Amino acid sequence: MLDRLSILKTALWAMVGALAAVTVYRFVYGLGAVTNLSDQAPWGLWVAFDVMAGVALAAGGFVLAATVYIFGLERYRVFVRPAILTALLGYVAVAVGLLFDLGLPWHIWHPLRYPQIHSVLFEVAACVMLYLTVLALEFAPVVLEHPRLQDPVLRRVYTVLWRVTLPLVILGIALSTLHQSSLGSLFLLTPYRLHPLWYSPLLPLLFFVSAVALGLMMVVLESLLARRFLRHEVAPELVAGLARAAVPVLLLYAALRLGDLIVRGVLPGALDGSWQSALFIGELTVSALLPAGLLMVRGIRMSGMGVGVAAALTVGGLVLHRLDVAVVAFARPAGVGYFPTWMEVVVSLGIVAGAVLIFIRFVETLGVYDGHPTPPPDRRKPLWQAAWMRSLRPAATGDVRRYSLAVVSAASLAVLFLPWGGASPRATPVAPPTSQAALRSGPGGARDFLLVAAPSGAVLSAEEARSVFLLDGDRAGEVVIFDHDAHLEREGGSAGCGTCHHLNLPADRSTSCSACHQDMHRPTDTFDHQVHVLALDGSQGCPECHAPGQMKTRAAATACAECHTDLAPAGGVLPAASDRWQAAPAYADAMHGLCVGCHERAVEAAAAEHDPHMARCDFCHDADRRSEVRALAPARTSRTWSTAALRAAGHDGL
Amino acid sequence: MKNAALLIDVTRCTGCERCVEACRQEHDLGVDLPRPGQAAVTGLSSTRLATIVRLPGDHYVPDRCRHCLEPACVSACLVGAMQKTPEGAVIYDAERCMGCRYCMVACPFGVPRYTWDEAVPVIRKCTLCHHRLVDGRLPACVEACPEDALGCGPRDELLAEAHRRIAAQPGRYLRHVYGEREVGGTAVLHISDVPLDFLGWAPPGQERSLPELTRAALSTVPATFLGVGSVMATVHWVIQRRIRLTGQAAAEGQDGAQEGTDPDA
Repeated sequence: MLDRLSILKTALWAMVGALAAVTVYRFVYGLGAVTNLSDQAPWGLWVAFDVMAGVALAAGGFVLAATVYIFGLERYRVFVRPAILTALLGYVAVAVGLLFDLGLPWHIWHPLRYPQIHSVLFEVAACVMLYLTVLALEFAPVVLEHPRLQDPVLRRVYTVLWRVTLPLVILGIALSTLHQSSLGSLFLLTPYRLHPLWYSPLLPLLFFVSAVALGLMMVVLESLLARRFLRHEVAPELVAGLARAAVPVLLLYAALRLGDLIVRGVLPGALDGSWQSALFIGELTVSALLPAGLLMVRGIRMSGMGVGVAAALTVGGLVLHRLDVAVVAFARPAGVGYFPTWMEVVVSLGIVAGAVLIFIRFVETLGVYDGHPTPPPDRRKPLWQAAWMRSLRPAATGDVRRYSLAVVSAASLAVLFLPWGGASPRATPVAPPTSQAALRSGPGGARDFLLVAAPSGAVLSAEEARSVFLLDGDRAGEVVIFDHDAHLEREGGSAGCGTCHHLNLPADRSTSCSACHQDMHRPTDTFDHQVHVLALDGSQGCPECHAPGQMKTRAAATACAECHTDLAPAGGVLPAASDRWQAAPAYADAMHGLCVGCHERAVEAAAAEHDPHMARCDFCHDADRRSEVRALAPARTSRTWSTAALRAAGHDGL
Repeated sequence: MKNAALLIDVTRCTGCERCVEACRQEHDLGVDLPRPGQAAVTGLSSTRLATIVRLPGDHYVPDRCRHCLEPACVSACLVGAMQKTPEGAVIYDAERCMGCRYCMVACPFGVPRYTWDEAVPVIRKCTLCHHRLVDGRLPACVEACPEDALGCGPRDELLAEAHRRIAAQPGRYLRHVYGEREVGGTAVLHISDVPLDFLGWAPPGQERSLPELTRAALSTVPATFLGVGSVMATVHWVIQRRIRLTGQAAAEGQDGAQEGTDPDA
């Protein structure tokens, strides 16, 4: 029997199945593997939809309780029980959503243990916990009406609960007022990150008013869905009455938002054509202005279609409002986006699906709609019936089988799509092994490689050839010929393997060449032509270096040392220049040959007057890792002392 | 040391990152990994609690938790996992934390980081080396700085020192001590030759402390609770009484007036 309800249930069970698969993954691999949350976007779909929108969607409970119990509008009593049940399940869904979203969900009870009255979130948590209790007590009589629960003790509980209904309702309204508004107060703390079209000192009031409207419209929408799926008829005048009550609330909400923009002077921002202004206008229109306009027409109010569209618009628009405040309009650093992963969506939908299934189950077994118990059929079936095997689909078990199938197949499908492996760090890309021939005709065109490790023209023995290979050690697409044995010898034999292979950088296969071969070990050309042109008075100065009549080439020009006679100060120990255009000594050589020696002598001569740091090896060298120099290399930062600055600091001989 | 603070002189920093390395060793942070989908680690991360922002023109801006005098994260935390200590540090207690990440949302400087990729995630942020301050030692980064760009001491002394440096070399610094009054004052002070407003979310000149904003909302809670409760009780009493009286009147044979308002009337 494939009626509307069992199709709906199949779909809901499928969502729950997918949820089950993602749940396991979420708790094994953590938030990072499942969500697109980041340090820049710490709150995402789960907070915005499951928690913030979830609480607002469950507002129907206190709104209807107030309507009937406080304002005495008895004819709406038919909505109270389903609204309370929706609220109860809604808040349970919020709690379940929180278990997914919290990093340490087993600490969810900590607000009770370490209460902090200065925290808005504590107030929300406390109110939600209390209100959940109140809702459970408000709904408990419905459960206790069940024919199986008719023993005398339970009857007494039932009577007590019945008598305290009014105090419970009033407590529920007060708690709801507090936490519905406090969800808005949460964002009072973020005046600079929440976009000015959403940030407002009135956030608590806006959240409360919109929650009242949302509560009314959810009850409307729900009664229409109940008519469609559960064949529960409610008089159209009653639905229209609720919808009409929502109109002034929606108009108040819209007026508050616009009035607030005007008072704060940011109304022009709503019309400046930015995506935020478009979102703001769209959100306000869909959530309040359009449905309020529609519902003012009696004909639309009385038609199921019309009132359904208006309610759906409000529900969608106000859920969007919560999403906007918590995620969309919440500033992130430039270039950092957030869009939920499919797994986040599956969790959000799965929790809602679960709540709807429980709702349907309660409607089927308890007097949710009719207000008095319906004696259930005798559900005690034998554990096993031989007849079950004979028919492929006996009517009694057909639905159950289909639901199980939906759960299992959705779960398997979800498992299939899960990004197994979790959030392991991105591995450094490593070029695949390449043959020499392939390299020669690679994308860079034909290239020849010089075998630097072996004497030119030498024939390598098999043993030697094994130790010399092509290596793209920096993973930069550039290959060098690498003499493994030479490195091994240099690093102290087998004890030196760790230098490259076992000091692995994270997610890296082995140490890259540049980890050791840094610019600080290479002589560097420090000549800057432009600086000299400026210093020598523009083109007037050319003859200073380029003799008239000579080619203006580097080779023919005056060498550095011919003018800068003090480049190598007395007492310095530097590699001898092999030609007049020798590049400046490598940073390491200069340090050892010039700076350290000079400082050592100065400290030795008068320890009190000189900073001992530069004379100490461990000022630069890490004691444990001899080959690693602390990050003092000027290679990429270029903020080095100028000669003039050193001279000003009292360095002689420069 | 009570009310400890940091004075960061941006003009002295050479970007050598020895503070970053010292922090890494002190807090045993391991290796700084980019998160999946992230090209490289930029700025603060859960494994880099202090960092140096490199600006064009050889400006190096050491960046870390500001240890606000009135921290938004502390006021946000519903379990007291974030605490401002008498030593001046804002510290975090993973034993209490629920992982709601409201502190990350609330921080006006966007400082707290989360270990997203772990199954048991925690918040990570600079603690001003609170454990060292308690022992009377300096924070690891301050000790490591070879350029004296980081200084640690009582906040009022450092503030005076900052103003003294600015007055002594007016051409070298902007005439502003970042952190003196921003968001109610911070324990980490910057003096700089480049504007540092980009380091926080607040536009320049915002001196109001953020917890004040929620304090105002929270102070209305008891009144709202009692007010809503008593108004609802009164309304209930008035309406039920009217219904009862109308019912009695109807029972006495007179024309029963319809109570309430018809929704579609």
